[in-house]
Amino acid sequence: MKSQKLHQKLLRSMVFGTACLGIMAQSISLVQAGEGNFGWIYGLDLQPQGKWEAEQRLQLTRGHAAGTYDYWQGRSELEYGLTSNIQLAGYLNTYAINSAKNYTNVDACASSVNPCTGGYGVSGIHNSDPSYSASGIDGVSLEAIWRITNPLTAPVGLGLYFEPTFGHLKDAVEARVIVQSNFLDDRLQLVGNLVLEAEKLKFDEEPIEEIVLDFVGGFSYRVAPNWSLGLEYRFHNDFDGFSFASQTQRAHFLGPNVHYAHQKFWVTLAMRTQLGGDCWSPGDAECSDGMVWDSHGRNEYMLKVGLPF
Amino acid sequence: MLPFRLPIAASLSLALLGGVSHTVIAKTYMSAEEAVQVIFPGKYFSKVTFEISGEIHQKLKKLSGIHHPLSPNQFWLAGDGSWVIIDEVVGKHEMITYALGIDAIGQIKDIHILQYNETYGHQVREKYWRTQFVGKNAQNNLRLNEDIQNISGATLSCKHVTDGVRRLMGLHALLLFKLNSHDPM
Repeated sequence: MKSQKLHQKLLRSMVFGTACLGIMAQSISLVQAGEGNFGWIYGLDLQPQGKWEAEQRLQLTRGHAAGTYDYWQGRSELEYGLTSNIQLAGYLNTYAINSAKNYTNVDACASSVNPCTGGYGVSGIHNSDPSYSASGIDGVSLEAIWRITNPLTAPVGLGLYFEPTFGHLKDAVEARVIVQSNFLDDRLQLVGNLVLEAEKLKFDEEPIEEIVLDFVGGFSYRVAPNWSLGLEYRFHNDFDGFSFASQTQRAHFLGPNVHYAHQKFWVTLAMRTQLGGDCWSPGDAECSDGMVWDSHGRNEYMLKVGLPF
Repeated sequence: MLPFRLPIAASLSLALLGGVSHTVIAKTYMSAEEAVQVIFPGKYFSKVTFEISGEIHQKLKKLSGIHHPLSPNQFWLAGDGSWVIIDEVVGKHEMITYALGIDAIGQIKDIHILQYNETYGHQVREKYWRTQFVGKNAQNNLRLNEDIQNISGATLSCKHVTDGVRRLMGLHALLLFKLNSHDPM
């Protein structure tokens, strides 16, 4: 009951906050925008200097080895163009987890309780329970992107990205090297990110420290005015502890994206499916059937809406 | 209790932002006929059509880097050999339509943006940026950050309009300069 009241209070606060943003948007006559053509890949289209954009992301990670696993992540973001080549942003991160009898690996489940309940965000103490649900405000993230070269004026655009996250589920520091080249009158964007993230997962009984080393890359092509279609790929690697000595996960993901952009808003829908993965000790409890579970699902879906003002 | 309440609520509440601005940015600023009279006031022009050979198209593509095809039906010619050309280039989301006036000796008389539908980059309509083109000819280095300065926050529009003008000036040097009368072509 207390938890329900807390959620209602948080909900009212978020609605009030975003309504205030709406009033701000109404008071400014010319809209401005940078936009994300991809679901999970960062490009080098930044906010012009002095311009703001509100962005909402909603991601669903769905499906584990068995049962139910739905992990929703909401990210409400404000972006600001500090200079013509530096963009700052702040995020409010929210989450909702619904997990039930989704793990089948004998390393994860006791023999008497198989399948058991687990996954990213599921507290270790709930492993033997038939189901687990939780939701709330996870925390905040800050973000800075520095565009060193612009793909509109250079053959290869280069940028650096930095994002610390402080949350209920995890604390993390993420860095990316962003590379982008444009072709065909800038209608075709080829983008790649090298991602390095050090994270401390806090939802289990004991904190888990790990390093994520990913490559995400893909293309987006403007097939018609306002509309772009593309494809994105992720090569994911996890390492135990804050070193590269012991790899615990590797997985591949691939999926399409569709992007619609208008003067006043843009929307991106993307999904990616797990092609396959491997796990090694000490993280092998998170694998089965040639797939990596943990914070990953069979499929991941992303909705992003940008509202420049 | 639904476990998904918070993320969805955040999305819905931010979605409210989309409906709050009543500002409508004008899309078409000038018609082609109006542009002809603004660039060359009082001068008589008539619309002409002609074939552009594949060889010239290839040269123009190499010169400008533009893949979007050049429209063949947007040329106005005056008796003294002045031209007004309506062209379009790729914008961020839609096409940018502009008019280029070239005088009888092959110098740019003026350029006007006729249609602009983009979220940002409207500064390319400003006179201070368009004035950079005035007096230039096909021999000039009509490239962004060369003879034509960029506007921060409007880079894509500046680049594509500049490339478009370079293509039209190339076409003028290769073909239009020779077509200086209303005789059948």
